[in-house]
Amino acid sequence: MKIMRVEKTLVSTNRIDGFGHRPLLVVQDKVGGARSVAVDAVGCVPGDWVLCVGSSAARDAAGAKDFPSDLTIVGIIDDWPPEVG
Amino acid sequence: MEILRVVDDLVCTRRAPGLGRSSLRVLESAEGVVSVATDPVGAPAGRWVFATTGTAARLAMGDPGAVTDLTICGLIDHWEAPA
Repeated sequence: MKIMRVEKTLVSTNRIDGFGHRPLLVVQDKVGGARSVAVDAVGCVPGDWVLCVGSSAARDAAGAKDFPSDLTIVGIIDDWPPEVG
Repeated sequence: MEILRVVDDLVCTRRAPGLGRSSLRVLESAEGVVSVATDPVGAPAGRWVFATTGTAARLAMGDPGAVTDLTICGLIDHWEAPA
């Protein structure tokens, strides 16, 4: 699992049916770091430090074994010192 | 999922049967890394999209037998390219 920081929400109106209406978030591996898009299975807000899973766990965590996600947020970290991230 | 920009269409007539007749797009990341993705959305050149990788890319094509490891999942409505 990876520790990521939520930067902002990602709006995508025109998307494949497989994604349904699941919320998408732009996450970074550190402040100002490389960006990825994750499916939000928890309900987090920008600025949260979160726990993300990849591969088949990402599909399962997003709600179904055939959900086409490769990165899903599965937890919000209560207290993460920003200087470590 | 990765955030990528569509550069162009990719025409590939002779292909493996598993690739079917799916559209292909040349994509570029903000760092300038070029890759090719299957496109079930119909993304035009210049648009920023998000794309899924690995086995999820095959599922995103709606066919687990599709031989792809990168599939465009949707167009991003508004995206400011990072400086």
